[in-house]
Amino acid sequence: MDDELGTPAARRSSTRAKKVGAKVSAVLTDPNVRAQAALARLDALESDHLAVETIDLDDDDEASLDDEEQGFREKKAAKGTKRKTRRAKAQAMERIGNSKKTPRTFLELLQEANLESLPPHLPSYVRAAVGPPSSGARRHFCTVCGYLAPYTCTLCGARFCSCRCKVVHNDTRCQKFIQ
Amino acid sequence: MARGAAGVGKSTVVVLDNGAGFCKAGIGGEADPSLVMPNCMARPRSAKKWVFGDQISEVQDIQGISIRRAMDRGYLINPDTEKEIWDRIFKTHLKIRPSECSLLLVEPLFSIPAIQKSTDEIIFEEFGFQSLYVGNAPALTHNYHAECAPESFLAKSNCSLVVDAGFSFTHAAPVFDGFVVNHAAKRMNLGGKALTNYLKELVSYRAWNMMDETYIMEDVKEKLCFCSLDISTDLDIARRRGRSNYYQCDYILPDGIKYKRGFVKDPDAAAAYISKRQRLDSEVEEGVQEVISREAEAPREELRTIGKAGIPTKADQQVLTLTNERFLVPEMLFHPADLGMNEAGLAECIVRAVKACHPSLYPVLYSNVLLTGGSTLFHGFKERLETELRPLVPDEFQVSVQSVDNPLLAAWKGGSLLAASQEFQKAAVTKKEYEECGSMRCRRRFML
Repeated sequence: MDDELGTPAARRSSTRAKKVGAKVSAVLTDPNVRAQAALARLDALESDHLAVETIDLDDDDEASLDDEEQGFREKKAAKGTKRKTRRAKAQAMERIGNSKKTPRTFLELLQEANLESLPPHLPSYVRAAVGPPSSGARRHFCTVCGYLAPYTCTLCGARFCSCRCKVVHNDTRCQKFIQ
Repeated sequence: MARGAAGVGKSTVVVLDNGAGFCKAGIGGEADPSLVMPNCMARPRSAKKWVFGDQISEVQDIQGISIRRAMDRGYLINPDTEKEIWDRIFKTHLKIRPSECSLLLVEPLFSIPAIQKSTDEIIFEEFGFQSLYVGNAPALTHNYHAECAPESFLAKSNCSLVVDAGFSFTHAAPVFDGFVVNHAAKRMNLGGKALTNYLKELVSYRAWNMMDETYIMEDVKEKLCFCSLDISTDLDIARRRGRSNYYQCDYILPDGIKYKRGFVKDPDAAAAYISKRQRLDSEVEEGVQEVISREAEAPREELRTIGKAGIPTKADQQVLTLTNERFLVPEMLFHPADLGMNEAGLAECIVRAVKACHPSLYPVLYSNVLLTGGSTLFHGFKERLETELRPLVPDEFQVSVQSVDNPLLAAWKGGSLLAASQEFQKAAVTKKEYEECGSMRCRRRFML
């Protein structure tokens, strides 16, 4: 994490890579971070809470327009503003009383129900889960084009199938875990 | 059990299959629900007001429509929103007065007490229904199917394994003698919503940014996705260029001006894979290649001219081209591990559900696998499940997978049958009983 900027990143050409590459890759190659990103992605598959997202969306649009020509630093700044607006919006919504009672998510309710404490013979939501697969084999599909992907990105662990897809991957999505 | 009958005469029974995706509502005893609507509130980007799910079809600008649901992971977590939706259903569509009716509610398996309690509160305290019966989709589907085909093995054994692939999750639930074997039911946390979101994610990276277009992508998924029977061959075909790639197809996205709704550009070409695939089964691969290229000549030529003529319009048409996404998306139901989920696939889920039952039920359950729920509507779902299931089942057992008539409505129809029968009033819990004993005690009667 605390690597000096000079040594391994110096060979790279872009300023972005020089400045943050080493640090970012140190974080990204951490298996914990990757696992977290994977979990966040799975969580996103279940989400449709657009009430908050739509508000963000407008901000995002503006932000992306702004930083189209500018570099990474702006993007970081945009991220900052996004966070701020989200908070501000949430507060605004509370003030308006739009969300009188924010409903708790199902997972919160589930935790509250404390189903683990039930005797093991009783069927419950938790025990009905199908559990892990018997074989750990997992097919990997290219994150760019969708075909079977034999290669892994060394920085972020995403899969790709060919040089062409690697280029696309590096240009557009490497190290930007699915948000 | 006869307690419930006291004080309740023959009243109208409202049957409500409150699925997370679609809400099916109607009067018990009728053949079809009078209303099927998306169980959500929606708000177009331009408007400030939320509209109900049934009004989405009237909305002008469908792009970027926000959708708010009362359900999370299939369970009712936001009673306030749901109350509004139900209010609309009862008042505007069914035109009934809840205080004069009974309610048959279809609830997902394994609901947790807090959710059951809040549901009961809305039903009895907000709406004031006379009585309530809570059923679950697998049992009702089984009963409906048994009723439809009284001579079948399924009806005679009165035992089946119902696979309910819904909007939020997929259950494999053994049903014995009309009741779900609760301790054996298994759940995969993958359903139609996750598949739509997955498709959204794939497409957003490859073509258009559709991350905010859940509603449109749902339509794309329903119209264009199908289950692959042989994923590696299909991937090869999808990789081809030009006309021999019969998986490639276009979907015209709504632009809000010319097209208010999206549609498949050429439905025949989009469905071409069905006939091609059947031919693949019967003929040798190489011979088929020729047939494909020869046959494709004539009609495809036409297509191309259309395509050429369409080039000038391309500027104002937003075309979403799909190839391998069409079958990679439903594929996840069979191999959630590919998504990075630590979950067994559907076939294994079924095997585990069966194995949790008594061994003497194994042969009956394997030969009575019943498919229901909207996510089983993908073309080829049944065939795919059969091919996946067969190697996992010992070969002395026969495996037979069948779909119910109408996977979307089967649970509702089962509920309608039950509501019309004598048993309903006996089994239902009356308002008085609820007031006396509270939610928990009443629930025990439904064996949930």
